[in-house]
Amino acid sequence: MKVDLKPMEKILQKVWPRAREKHLYPQLPTPQLVEGGEEVALDIKSKKLQISASFLENIKVMMDPEEAVEAVLDHGIAHYMYCPWDFHTHLTLYSEAKKALKDKKMAQKATSYFLDVVANTYCVKERETKLPELYRRLPKEGVQGVLASLYQKIWGVDLGADEEHEEKVRRLARIPYLEKRRWRESIKKFAKVIEDLLEEELKAEQGQDRKAPNPLGEHSLDNYSLEEIDRGLRNFASTVQDLQEFKETVEDLKEELNERGYAMGGMGRGEGNPIDADLLYYMKLAENYTLPIRKLPMEKSGDLHPHSHSPWEVGKPFQDIDPWTSFGKIMPGLTQTWVRREGEVYGEMESTPDCLIIIDSSGSMTNPRERLSYAVLGAACACNAYLKNEARVAVYNFSDAFRGNKLLLEFSRQREAIYRAICRYFGGGTALDLEDVAYLLRQADHPDIFIITDMQITNLEKLIEFFSGIENRVTAVHLGHNVHTVRFREGLKKKRNISLFPVREKEDIPKIVLGKIREYWASPL
Amino acid sequence: MVSKDGYQEKIRRIYGFISENLYLNRPDLEIKGEYYNSALLFGILTAIYGGKELIIGEPGLGKTTSAEYVGCLLYRYPLGIIWGSEVSGHPEQTEEKIVGRPHLGELNKGNEVVVWSNFVQIPVKIVDEINRLPETKQSMILDGVDRGNWEYLNEILINDEYVLFATANYQDRGTNTIIAPLVDRFDVLVESRHPGPNIAFQIGRKSRLDNPLRHPEFERRFHEVLRTHMPYDEKVRRLEELCDLFGEYLMETVGVEGLKNEERQGIREELAKVPVDLDANAFLRMVLAEFSFCHRYGQKRSVEQCAEGCHYTGYICHHVKNCASNRLPTSVIGYSQALAWFLEDEEVDIEHVRVVLPFTLAHRVQWRDSYISKKEGEGRNDPLQIYLAKEATEEIFQRYNEQRDYLLEALSVAYQAFEGEEVTPLEGDHPLYEEIKKDIGSRR
Amino acid sequence: MINPFQEFKGRTSRRREIPLDQILRSKEETLSRILRGYENLLKNEAKDLVWLMQYSTVIKAYTIAEEGIKGIEYTAEDIEEFCYALDKTDQIPYLITGPAGVYISALCNHAKEEEIVLRLQDLNVKINLLGYRLPEGKRLVVEGNVGDFTGIGLDGGELVIEGSAKNYTGAGMKRGKIVVKNNIGFNTGHGMTGGEIVVGGRIKGLGKIVGGKIYEREHLIFPSEEMKPFFF
Repeated sequence: MKVDLKPMEKILQKVWPRAREKHLYPQLPTPQLVEGGEEVALDIKSKKLQISASFLENIKVMMDPEEAVEAVLDHGIAHYMYCPWDFHTHLTLYSEAKKALKDKKMAQKATSYFLDVVANTYCVKERETKLPELYRRLPKEGVQGVLASLYQKIWGVDLGADEEHEEKVRRLARIPYLEKRRWRESIKKFAKVIEDLLEEELKAEQGQDRKAPNPLGEHSLDNYSLEEIDRGLRNFASTVQDLQEFKETVEDLKEELNERGYAMGGMGRGEGNPIDADLLYYMKLAENYTLPIRKLPMEKSGDLHPHSHSPWEVGKPFQDIDPWTSFGKIMPGLTQTWVRREGEVYGEMESTPDCLIIIDSSGSMTNPRERLSYAVLGAACACNAYLKNEARVAVYNFSDAFRGNKLLLEFSRQREAIYRAICRYFGGGTALDLEDVAYLLRQADHPDIFIITDMQITNLEKLIEFFSGIENRVTAVHLGHNVHTVRFREGLKKKRNISLFPVREKEDIPKIVLGKIREYWASPL
Repeated sequence: MVSKDGYQEKIRRIYGFISENLYLNRPDLEIKGEYYNSALLFGILTAIYGGKELIIGEPGLGKTTSAEYVGCLLYRYPLGIIWGSEVSGHPEQTEEKIVGRPHLGELNKGNEVVVWSNFVQIPVKIVDEINRLPETKQSMILDGVDRGNWEYLNEILINDEYVLFATANYQDRGTNTIIAPLVDRFDVLVESRHPGPNIAFQIGRKSRLDNPLRHPEFERRFHEVLRTHMPYDEKVRRLEELCDLFGEYLMETVGVEGLKNEERQGIREELAKVPVDLDANAFLRMVLAEFSFCHRYGQKRSVEQCAEGCHYTGYICHHVKNCASNRLPTSVIGYSQALAWFLEDEEVDIEHVRVVLPFTLAHRVQWRDSYISKKEGEGRNDPLQIYLAKEATEEIFQRYNEQRDYLLEALSVAYQAFEGEEVTPLEGDHPLYEEIKKDIGSRR
Repeated sequence: MINPFQEFKGRTSRRREIPLDQILRSKEETLSRILRGYENLLKNEAKDLVWLMQYSTVIKAYTIAEEGIKGIEYTAEDIEEFCYALDKTDQIPYLITGPAGVYISALCNHAKEEEIVLRLQDLNVKINLLGYRLPEGKRLVVEGNVGDFTGIGLDGGELVIEGSAKNYTGAGMKRGKIVVKNNIGFNTGHGMTGGEIVVGGRIKGLGKIVGGKIYEREHLIFPSEEMKPFFF
């Protein structure tokens, strides 16, 4: 049955400014009324709130439509303004729920319900809201029934919910929903308490081949723009405990990310290559360590020219007096003299040199796909810095090169390919094939070299000899301190173009790499 | 109480006229459900507030023209006069070209008589490409506009009202940059953007010859008065009479009425009376705290580096190098009041402050490289400075939203503590709570 | 000097209280009281942060624990909260698992509920001495793994471990039942005189058992042909 939207539009126009003011003016576009489903009141698509006219049509026999609209808006705005606020929070909560429940679908549901409880409770406590009135009129089956009982207990209102599941409700009522700092542990407790109900709900959905609708809208990637998703992933990469956690979460959401059009290179480029969670992790993490883009330098042109005037004083030379601005008079207070300056012209931007990254992936180095590898992160930072300034990057990933455990990637600007090369792990012995390095160096004009290794290289002497013969800027970052590092330092101490950094804390690698790049770019070749 | 004498309506009509006929551009700012173009809106607000606006943008995108139209219509000066009094930024500008010069005839007789430039005489002051002026000249203009006093050869000219519009290229490309102490004197920074190809096409079709804001006869009469040697007060009175006539002309030809001097003064008095609500008040305090606080060194200083591992690394103070000046709250409150008045709102609320704040902040903040490099690659519609300021505003707003009630209570308790009552200031994580304790401590 | 907070004069707090605030406040208060009892126990029993696991020290610690919890109104969920608080060093500066286990056992034994479920899967530390002297009529279910000396001195209650236990499980138990779903360590049932220990997984080793029964994967392994009662 087609619903007449006009009266609803009027109500929405009346209620929206009130709701905005109540929530301190969120930066949200004006909500829309849509011919949505009867069971679901609200949908949020990239910040746009869409209210179902059919739902309102049904509810208006039970409740004042203005109050219903305001309640729905309160709920939607609270999701935007409080919980989850951004995609990073959503991911974090999902990740914690997954740890508790070990099942993707259950974790998604638990997260969705948790977000609702927090947002609703926030509205009830902090804002004048008619949400309890709305919930009184909504169906109370399964998890929704338990939540309705929970709301009765923690809000102190009668929603007409049954008193079954008393023990669950008692446990749920002890969770500090409005303490943001404790959301991570809270969602785990929340999820564990309703685990069996979620299982039942999932079974029922499989049986009916239909999702149980959440009356106040689902929570999914559709709620966020691609920009927000990208930013959320970046923040998530820097806050997660380890790579595996990031990987697991992204793997779970791979399908949804692909559907959303989120590709490895960034966003909005349509369905690209399938997302590789490991690469994505290092990409996003490396974005937290970046250098600004190099600016076009200004250079002195070398010759003086009249630039500006300054008042002439007795004792100053006469030859630069400007008779015109001095009105033909030579007297203090009136006469102006030219100040000459060297002209400034735009320098030629020495294009950023290309970069060759030599990364050790022998058995003694961390496997970047199992745990966070700071060596790979450092290489990723170098890669980002050079690519950002339109240089190219080549990669020589080696383990036991003479047995074929090596990967050469020629100079390229393809970020994904470079990351793939950096993240490759061989886990064998440690020997470089210097022919490969020489080959790569020939492909570019004096590229910078970054080598990250633990220096336990079997043909170290050859490497020292090789580096002694080149003039490229070399930054060697090595982990630990041993006879090999001493030998390397001794062998190359006279070479000014080579810097060696021993690293005690692996966490320092990205800073060292970026610090060196900053130094390179500040001084000319 | 907001004056509802119809002035807002007049100004809206001016806005509408300029945006539909003269400065064609897209609306890029939403407030209270209405859409405005930020460059034009802030130009209007600057004109009614009497502030100083710095307009940046690519060459040829209407930086100067937007200011000229606003000045012309709100102050009722013919466009030719506005053009004739502009100072253009180039290194060879001298005080004689900007402020005034000796009367050459009298000089030869040995008498000191000053011929004041049009720039200092009329209230609308436009400086084109201010960053190309040498520092001494920039400083001279800003000093003059700050105080309303212009001095040359021991003679003084005092402006009763003035507004400054300055245009500049993007800071990383100019031959000079505007140094921090000077750029801090500007109230707002806005960008005059490209209007998009469709609107640009419309602009291209417009005739260059037909400009309703020009009137050679009036311009001649204005020039005559400006050139005379009568006392400045008398000159202002005569100019105002001409402005009345020009205003009538504008009303007849384009249907827009400008504002008289008394009306502008009245509006400014009204603006100053617009109250600021508690939310806006508390939010602004929170912003100021984050831009000035340093746990380790007492306050932010551009010569001191933020320590790693500080408890407050989650706040804006960790991402900035310099300290917010006292001109910032002056600009924010002034422009927020102007905006609230313009929208006919009873008081300044948090939305007004959130809209105004990025534009008052953008040019005043020196961000740390690490913060810039993280953000500069993000998709945005604004130039980086304004984008960063908007991001910071939203970040602080989120914090405010979370702890609003508690913060308001903390400020209320602070009042009592300051009065000497035996109450304990509330504790909180935000720098503002530390600053409250310092204020109370210093009182005791 | 003008009061810079002038505008906030007389601004009354509009913070609304909902029942959730009361529930959480009450929970925090109860937890603080329980924590104080635990700190008191440590002060008396582990002065230099050293606690020797001995028959007499356990009894003494239990007595002090009982004193410490007297008068506190708590529920099973409060006990669980306390277990989680043990895991966080910002709430409890030092954790000694022996006294902690005794204290928790006291809490469980004196709880109002007949059945207590402690969800401890996410705990990083394995608590020793859980289920000490669990009396008849009480059922304690622990979801997660536990440490040493679990269920020692069991006094008629039922202790279910939905995970693994370590060494000396059920040592000295008199009656009651211990069920361990997964594996168990060495010296299981050492000194037990009655009751049952039922293990779903493997038992690494039995102690010197006096009486009672022990089952491994549904097989009775004590008393059996290979394992006869021990007489001290």
